[in-house]
Amino acid sequence: MSNPERPAADPRELWPVDSEGHPLPPKIQPGYYPGFSTLSQQAFWDEATRREVLRRVESLPHIRFFQGDEVPLLEAASARLLPQDDRAEARRIPIVPWIDERLYEGKGDGFRFEDMPPDGEAYRLGLAGIAAAAQARRGQPFQQLPAADQDDILKQLHHGKAPSEHEAWRRMPAHKFFLLMLHDVCKVYYAHPWAWDEIGFGGPAYPRGYMRLERGQREPWEVDERRYAWAPPPAAGSAETERVAGQDDLYGTSQGGTH
Amino acid sequence: MTKPKSPIGGPFQAPEPGVHRLGPMQVLDAPMRRFSPDDQVDYCVVGVGAAGGVLVQRLSRAGFRVVGLEAGPFWDTERDWVSDEKGSHQLYWTEPRVTGGSHPLSLGENNSGRGVGGGSVHWAAFTPRLHPSDFRTQSQDGVGVDWPIAYDDLKPYYELLEREMPVSGPAYFPWGDPHGYTFGPHPMGGVGDLLIRGCTKLGIRVSIGGPVAILAGSRGNRPHCIYRGFCIQGCKVGAKQSTLISHVPDAIAHGAEVRAHAMASRIEIDAENRVTGVRYVDHQGTERFQRARAVIVSGYAIETPRLLLNSACPAYPSGLANSSGMVGRCLMAQAGNVILGRFSELVRMYKAPPAHCMTEEFYETDPQRDFARGFAIQSVAPLPIAFAKQMIASKGSWGWALRREMMDYNHWGTIAVLGELLPNPDNRVTLADETDHRGIRVAKVTFGLCDNDKKLIAFARKKVEDVMWAAGAEEVVQESRFAHLVGGARMGVDPRTSVTDAFGRTHDVDNLFVCDGSLFPTQGSANPGLTIQSLAARAADYLIDQSAAIFRRGAPRSREKVAIRTDLSPPDTWGPGVPRLGG
Repeated sequence: MSNPERPAADPRELWPVDSEGHPLPPKIQPGYYPGFSTLSQQAFWDEATRREVLRRVESLPHIRFFQGDEVPLLEAASARLLPQDDRAEARRIPIVPWIDERLYEGKGDGFRFEDMPPDGEAYRLGLAGIAAAAQARRGQPFQQLPAADQDDILKQLHHGKAPSEHEAWRRMPAHKFFLLMLHDVCKVYYAHPWAWDEIGFGGPAYPRGYMRLERGQREPWEVDERRYAWAPPPAAGSAETERVAGQDDLYGTSQGGTH
Repeated sequence: MTKPKSPIGGPFQAPEPGVHRLGPMQVLDAPMRRFSPDDQVDYCVVGVGAAGGVLVQRLSRAGFRVVGLEAGPFWDTERDWVSDEKGSHQLYWTEPRVTGGSHPLSLGENNSGRGVGGGSVHWAAFTPRLHPSDFRTQSQDGVGVDWPIAYDDLKPYYELLEREMPVSGPAYFPWGDPHGYTFGPHPMGGVGDLLIRGCTKLGIRVSIGGPVAILAGSRGNRPHCIYRGFCIQGCKVGAKQSTLISHVPDAIAHGAEVRAHAMASRIEIDAENRVTGVRYVDHQGTERFQRARAVIVSGYAIETPRLLLNSACPAYPSGLANSSGMVGRCLMAQAGNVILGRFSELVRMYKAPPAHCMTEEFYETDPQRDFARGFAIQSVAPLPIAFAKQMIASKGSWGWALRREMMDYNHWGTIAVLGELLPNPDNRVTLADETDHRGIRVAKVTFGLCDNDKKLIAFARKKVEDVMWAAGAEEVVQESRFAHLVGGARMGVDPRTSVTDAFGRTHDVDNLFVCDGSLFPTQGSANPGLTIQSLAARAADYLIDQSAAIFRRGAPRSREKVAIRTDLSPPDTWGPGVPRLGG
């Protein structure tokens, strides 16, 4: 646990590092596929897909579901659930407005686990529970805590432990709320073409399709992978994860993602 | 940034207004017949999905007045569908449901569909047949329950639907009842490659390029596959079969009405134990009643029991056609553990259909093992969001660790177990206290594993991990999950232990039928889609042949087999003249 008198963190502590532990400054495009741009291919996409994907880049829904402090709190939590400190400021992918839109419009997978409230209610409760944990720990809002403290609280949720004496954790299992947030964040981040560029995913492919199917070959418009030494910032609470064997329930499933 | 490129002739334009497209080559051009709810139609089919699509097509071709009520939209594939993972969420049944039990099933994504075509819109389209042993697990292995029909009853329908879809696959498929496919197999993608490599090293026979209901070559008004990998996001290409593009157009051309945005809320029954029609809520939220001489419920494994339970009435206080107490019970999912391997070389698994390579070498009961029944091994290929969830599930990754795993997306390949889990009456659909926005009580799903299930999963998981290591993976992890839903209104011989007879006719009510995956007494280790559509074609033959008795009060019920009608296929279906193994 970090020292309460600790000075404001050096931003370089939040950056990934190279093989010698030197911080890697933020990039326009992280990942191993320099110059790869799915958006450069948009003329080859069908109109409906182009409209859907460009909306994610060009517009941002107004906040309609979350209220007051919920927004900065979830912004801070999202920034630890899937950090973007290695992305140049202008190329960070907005997360919270899209989660807000989904909850406001009542869209989602529809089902709820019997021990969970509906998604919107779970967010209201869970964020209040996280705020209470931050107050109990430091007497401060979660969004003002050092990253290490934020990671600590999220880690407790991940392992199914209540981080505070709060009604939220009597109403729902902490790890299920953690997974709800983490899945939502991933659904926004990895739906963005900048994230596709980062991981080398080809993106939409109709009506053009793919020709080179085997041996990981790239299409003429894709780029080769160019790896370099890259490791998470060593101080981050999520740099390494310890999976508890036999506790599948803690980690959820991707149901529906494959077959 | 790379300079944007453009196709010769400029970017692809918006679809032309006023044209309803089903894939780039097929246009729905016939005006659809419209019945008034006051018209008494012959057959009202609730749910126009995998089974419902085949039913409305058969029944309308045979000259019956047919209405299909579909809760979701009537898709225009060019306008409504996208080549995108997140943007395809609308294809799934995402209305409120509650899930629980010792192994709660995640719902909401591609395990049931919404909109014309239903689940067949977003299935991966693997189309293996059930094995002959699947129809008699109780007498052969002492587990599950025997089907009221045998493999040979369904075989001619398998052959018929394999041509109607059509199915691409190898010339020789060695498992179950060995057979071959009329349409040639697909090329391999990255995950197929590694599945073949791993199986070959271990001496496991493997089927290359199918069986899968995706065209490898253009046929009729449907183009061939373009290997873009978005099968479970709805095939905009029109290469993958869904009843939306294969059967529904023919139904409409023959006078069926497919009424979209019509959510059935209740089936009504009269004092003489005959159903009179279906109450539904239309697009405007208005409640309407469609009169029908007979009703077929094709809402799939959760919505079918939900509708029957919600149709409880004084004569059937615990749910319509539920005198056995079996409505909603014996809901099944298959073991769907995904084994993920990281390779030093690139795989790029997002290319090619996820479903293109499989083995059924471990399908049958093996006395050497400590459990009954078996499993298949199949290629799968998650897109980035699904893969992120798999990294969360398999490695517990989040934060920076998750970013790191995702940066290696192109180095990972995935293979899945498809394992038979046994029917258990405690795995069931009931009604929750809460209601949806229309005021209809929602389904609650309870699911857990029995001892045999757990042993089967442990063995299957280990076997697929072995295959992944043999394929050359440097790291192997796995995610425990389930796939597919069937059961919940099973067919059987004994009215005390089943909901319907061998044709899907409910034991309790002469003019009420069930026709979808909920009929399955057991599920085998085959993907259910082909069997669902084949059962629908078989049910249609019965509904056509026996219509006079079905429509007449008090007419005796025939339990005789009816002859297969091979003259009711949609256009562009090849006949049986092409030589095939086992054909």
